[in-house]
Amino acid sequence: MSISLEQVSKHYGGSVAISDVSVEIADGELFVLLGPSGSGKSTLLRAIAGLTPIDRGRIVLHGRDVTHVSAREREVGFVFQNYALFRHMTVAENIEFALRARGVGAAARRARVNELLELVSLQGLGKRLPSELSGGQQQRVAVARALAHEPRVLLLDEPFGALDAKIRDELRRAIRDIQRTVGITTILVTHDQEEAFTMADRIGVMDRGRLQETDEPRVLYTRPRTRFAATFLGAANLLLGRIEGGGVRVGNTVFDTNPSERGGPPRHGEVTVLIRPEDIVLGRSELSAASAGELGYGTVRQIEFVGVLERVRLHVEPNEWLTSALAPGARFTIEATRNSRDAETTKLEVGQRVRIGAKHVHVLPTPISSLRLVGASEPDVERLASSSLVRELATRMHIAPVRHLSSSGIPPEALGGLAVVPFDRAGGFDGIARLLDEGARQVLGIADGHRRIERLVIYIQPTRAAREAALAAAGTLLRHLAVEGTLLVPAADRTVRGTSYRDLLDIRHAALRAHGVDVRTETFRGDVADAIGKRIHPSAPTLLLLGVSSPSSCYGLIEELGPRLAPRPPAATLIVRGNADADRDANTISYLRSASVLG
Amino acid sequence: MSARAAAYRSRWVEPSILPGFNLTLGISVAFLTAIVLIPIAALVLKAGSMPLDELWRIATEPRALASYRLSFGASLIAATLNAVFGFIIAWSLVRYRFPGRRFVDAIIDLPFALPTAVSGIALATVFSPQGWIGRWLEPLGIQVAYSWVGVVVALTLIGLPFVVRSVQPALAEVDATLEDAAESLGAGRFMTFRRVILPTVAPALATGFTLALARAIGEYGSVIFIAGNLPMRTEITPLLIVIKLEQYDYLGAAALGLVMLSISFVLLLTINALNGWRAARALGRRR
Repeated sequence: MSISLEQVSKHYGGSVAISDVSVEIADGELFVLLGPSGSGKSTLLRAIAGLTPIDRGRIVLHGRDVTHVSAREREVGFVFQNYALFRHMTVAENIEFALRARGVGAAARRARVNELLELVSLQGLGKRLPSELSGGQQQRVAVARALAHEPRVLLLDEPFGALDAKIRDELRRAIRDIQRTVGITTILVTHDQEEAFTMADRIGVMDRGRLQETDEPRVLYTRPRTRFAATFLGAANLLLGRIEGGGVRVGNTVFDTNPSERGGPPRHGEVTVLIRPEDIVLGRSELSAASAGELGYGTVRQIEFVGVLERVRLHVEPNEWLTSALAPGARFTIEATRNSRDAETTKLEVGQRVRIGAKHVHVLPTPISSLRLVGASEPDVERLASSSLVRELATRMHIAPVRHLSSSGIPPEALGGLAVVPFDRAGGFDGIARLLDEGARQVLGIADGHRRIERLVIYIQPTRAAREAALAAAGTLLRHLAVEGTLLVPAADRTVRGTSYRDLLDIRHAALRAHGVDVRTETFRGDVADAIGKRIHPSAPTLLLLGVSSPSSCYGLIEELGPRLAPRPPAATLIVRGNADADRDANTISYLRSASVLG
Repeated sequence: MSARAAAYRSRWVEPSILPGFNLTLGISVAFLTAIVLIPIAALVLKAGSMPLDELWRIATEPRALASYRLSFGASLIAATLNAVFGFIIAWSLVRYRFPGRRFVDAIIDLPFALPTAVSGIALATVFSPQGWIGRWLEPLGIQVAYSWVGVVVALTLIGLPFVVRSVQPALAEVDATLEDAAESLGAGRFMTFRRVILPTVAPALATGFTLALARAIGEYGSVIFIAGNLPMRTEITPLLIVIKLEQYDYLGAAALGLVMLSISFVLLLTINALNGWRAARALGRRR
């Protein structure tokens, strides 16, 4: 591996700039860090160059740990957005700066400068001053300068930001060519998804200091794993679907899901579905593409002509089967793009009611598809809605929470997404257990809604089913909350020495592979309740995530934990039930009551 | 093409969106004439009213020659000291945030505000053999007050703000990414300073140096209190001029004035030309 980052973190004062970023970049690869401004991508790049010190983690370049090595000794080339050329030096003097710093002789310097000028197609301009060159040429000089000392890593920080569209396009191709010619491992930072698509071998999507998702451009676009990647890489229609008989039902059609999809979609219940605008098919009475499945009807609100394409926005009234994943139950907009031929054959007008279909849907493997607030009374539900955790999840995941009253029985749709209940001290885990019992797969109990959650403590029962579901949930939480995650793994005494470490590595590897999010792992000996209790400090509001394999298997855990945590309960508790065990256990509540651990 | 458009193409008038070239040029010329040129012309005329050999004799008297040496020598030393220490002060004010920074920043301008006689007396008191600093220097054989060193000290004091205030904004403008770039290219601290930072602020530093030098050459008030004013040894040219005036030797005063004027003018012109050449290179306006 050329570049290897391990759990790199950086804080500025109280705010997180980079949070546990781990990634490996292969030799000669062009890796693009893509993210909105303030996502920490530039900070990460500067950290790799050694220009910004990191708080935690390890940076390895070509097998050499450079975490504590100064920038001048890291042998990287860095290209800045504003070029950062030395304006009082000629182009040639700029390019040979690194060679001068290394005491290279004049003849060798001149030869290398000429070679580099040719590489960036600026032959004969060596005697010019930077100010006599155009922006694009200046950036070429900056690239040549960064390559002069033959670094093994090239880092480009938004190198095209200050250029106009045509030059940018040309320079992108030029840099891509240069990178291939030299064969240098390269990281490019950008906020422009088109740039990322055209240049990258692989893209890492960053948001809020976390590397959200990493993959090849095509895979990221067609089969993203996270809501953020889905919406950041191009226009996206996010809808709620329901797993039904091996497929996913959206609107009036059960679509096939691709069984080989990465991360594995949840096997049952409510899921988030992505439909790209170009996969939407519109028709006045019949859908134009025979292979498309019907979703429902909508009203044309807006038609935009954008060159080769036509962009149509439709308003859709939601129903039980067709509703937005952004604001379930509210009227929503579907965006469609059509090529000029479709636009010609099926002319549409604003205000027209049309049939909407989809050629293809993609199920996001993310476990949290909606936020369902369940309370006995309206004030209860409102208290949940105003809790800091719900507000944070809602804004960061772009989900409008749905309010449900449990007084007249729990509505079945409330069990689909992430069910949120008050964690009242008298009832303890009662509310959570009741929903699990009804069939909910993940229930969040909120004890203290006032303070922001700062830490996430995860304990997972040692079964595969529990592990998968809980890690998926943990991954989603870590991606969207600015919290530190700690995964507790028992260091089993009975097993052979080393087994627990293999377990630990296994679980971290699983977390990394399936969810792209790294967590810190800590082993403990002895009692689970003790270990968890020790990690819940009143000073840092904690979210406790318990992964269980079935409702029945959580009895024991709750029985153990209940009394220990009662004096100082975590600010919130999330219990995630494994996917494999779908059987419901009607006795949960009665069992918990009789176990007298819930007060 | 209208006549006006043609006029803009002449080599005197740069086209600009702002009108009023004639007006502003007229005001500039009138103002400079009244304030600067006429008094200088009067000086030249006065000195010119005496025979040339007489002028030469007065200007090259041994006492006058000694005073030129002190005036220009001490001024150059003082301006150089200011360039070095003024740069360091500006650097620490721009680059670091430390308690009392604003206080230090305000102190820099004090030599501007203080009557020069006051600073001269204060310096003489402090550096006299019994003074707070002078008493520690005397055993080391260093005499500051009443020697040429005192002249340098006084000229350094009054010139400092010029350097600091010229360099400060230029340093603040230096893009931090330039230093990052130099570091990532493998440059050490000294190379980064010498080849990246210094050339970038050199024009401002040169301006500060020139201003400090010009001010030092013309300084009178503070020097006469600390210099001791011994003829041939610690007597500056401006003092010699005043002495001649007090003896009603107006012609002699005018002659010395003319010499000072000529040397200063040549000195400043040279520095400005050098600086202009460097600045043009640095900003890349070579053509």
